[in-house]
Amino acid sequence: MKYIAEIDGLEFPIEILDEHHVRFGQEIIEVDLAAVSGQPIYSLLVNGESYEGYVYPEEGFLQVLLMGQFYSVRVMDEREKRLRTAGAAVSPTGEFTLKAPMPGLVIAVPVEEGQQVEKGQILVILESMKMQNELRAPRAGKVSRLRVKAGESVEQKQPLLNIV
Amino acid sequence: MFKKILIANRGEIAVRIQRACRELGIKTVAVFSDADRQAMHVRYADEAYYLGPSPSRESYLRGDKLIDIARKSGAEAIHPGYGFLAERADFAAACAEAGLVFIGPKPSSIAAMGDKATARATVAKAGVTIVPGTEGQGNLRDEELLTLAPKIGFPLLIKATAGGGGKGMREVNSLEEMPELLQSARREAEASFGDGNVYLEKLIEGAHHIEFQILADQWGNVIHLGERECSIQRRHQKLIEESPSPFLGNNEALRRRMGEVAVQAARSVDYLNTGTIEFLVDNNYNFYFLEMNTRLQVEHPVTEMVTGIDIVAEQIRIASGLPLSHRQEDIRWRGAAIECRINAEDPYNNFMPSVGRITLTQFPTGPGVRVDTGVHVGYEVTPYYDPLIAKLIVWGETRTQAILRLRRALEEYRIAGVRTNIPFHQSMMASYSFLSGAYNTRFVEEQFPGIDAAENRELYLDIAALMATLVTHHETERRSQIYSRPPRPSLWKWGLFPERPKR
Repeated sequence: MKYIAEIDGLEFPIEILDEHHVRFGQEIIEVDLAAVSGQPIYSLLVNGESYEGYVYPEEGFLQVLLMGQFYSVRVMDEREKRLRTAGAAVSPTGEFTLKAPMPGLVIAVPVEEGQQVEKGQILVILESMKMQNELRAPRAGKVSRLRVKAGESVEQKQPLLNIV
Repeated sequence: MFKKILIANRGEIAVRIQRACRELGIKTVAVFSDADRQAMHVRYADEAYYLGPSPSRESYLRGDKLIDIARKSGAEAIHPGYGFLAERADFAAACAEAGLVFIGPKPSSIAAMGDKATARATVAKAGVTIVPGTEGQGNLRDEELLTLAPKIGFPLLIKATAGGGGKGMREVNSLEEMPELLQSARREAEASFGDGNVYLEKLIEGAHHIEFQILADQWGNVIHLGERECSIQRRHQKLIEESPSPFLGNNEALRRRMGEVAVQAARSVDYLNTGTIEFLVDNNYNFYFLEMNTRLQVEHPVTEMVTGIDIVAEQIRIASGLPLSHRQEDIRWRGAAIECRINAEDPYNNFMPSVGRITLTQFPTGPGVRVDTGVHVGYEVTPYYDPLIAKLIVWGETRTQAILRLRRALEEYRIAGVRTNIPFHQSMMASYSFLSGAYNTRFVEEQFPGIDAAENRELYLDIAALMATLVTHHETERRSQIYSRPPRPSLWKWGLFPERPKR
């Protein structure tokens, strides 16, 4: 079985040969994966070296907590990989929807509908956990639709505005 | 001694206070909001009562309900913890009127120190040096402040008189930008405290934030338990505290003088119970009174670790009328202690608060390690309260041992479901400036290079890829096994059902 794991924009081709051997790039390595009973904690031996990780699915990714760091890994088999690549080719740059990263209170919306914004420009100020958080534009574009105004309470992942 | 105490707080500090009560043989009464129904402080309490909806103004800030619950449950005293109603003179007064002991200072001391401008004037009169600024001139209008500003000199700070936590605070570098900053500071102060009054204070560049822990009883005894260095801050929020202060180092004369001045400042407002005198210390070792916190501090465990004194137990003893357990000359400091505040926020994404259900917690233990927390697996971190989910405190014979221990403990700490600032603390413990103790209040925002993600990250990218792939593979295998499992033996074989007609 062949897989492709994608992290931070890098691709790792991994082929499972049998229960204890995988081909990692050119190399064949010995592995042993054991789940710590009843918890999503895994113990992985790689050529005898031991690693402990916490693995759980979130929004199409596997989140891996390893050596104190979070990695978002997308694991695809060859068919999925082909589908994704094909999909990406036809999908336009498209619309970006700014969603609330957490529930909170909208303090200010310093942009207007139709306004041209720069990458990094503050779009919404959201108060949560006694802190004011600035939500910024991930890229330049035009605000095509404003969906909230100051003083409104929003839920997590609620769309706040759109940029085209 | 009291038989029963109501704890008007939540989270780790409510649990911390319950622990002190248990050891003193006192029953505890917890209160909770909707969001905290399953919280640890509710489950650990002897009794727990519902307060109201999740927003704090409808629950933990409802002084009337708290007093009502205290009376009904038969509690004799209320411990306010920190935050919420801890520094509200009107609440302390209401407790007294209801015949309940407020475990804290007198309402008059809270009021005197709560208004920052009044506090400055009061301690200055008692001979304590304060940061130069506008003093005791009542509430000033913008025009008056603009005239006074050049005399104080730039850069300076605009601060809210009702202030705290950096709200309503602005840094001013020139007279030109001041009118606009005054406006926004007043607006923020009005929104946060319902009081738009501000005062000016000279900005001491490269200052150290060093505070002294005070204990005072009803018998006129006031002592200090030494200092805590709290210069590691971000957006005026403390992140790491330690004792002794590496900046004061072996300067015992200065340390003694600061301790004496702290006691003097506390005496100037006729202080009772526990409190903290905050100083700013400049690079030439001049120190200035900044403010007094009239409550138990988040970082009190640092002092507990180096003195061996249980500050919360002392608070309760003092409130019940007992004299202090120690005289100043009995206090001994041993070793070094450091505290890291573990917050639910994402250090890789501009410290954005992180909410969600905690799915895994494994606390570090072992020699010299203490964890104060109020969360557990299954607990939901909500946006209603502050992001502090735990405090990790370590003690070592020397500062170096404490840092090595802290590194080890941070590595052991597992928490998932929400993002935490543990990676921030890990890189801080690897930073040369922190290791050498050469840091001040500007360090995190101006000099700290941030989390050195790249280097460590690349080291384990392949392992993360491998682990995720193998987990996916095992899941797929497991599922396909379920699908291809042989069908159950048919029941009619045993004559339980009549044979079905074949189609």
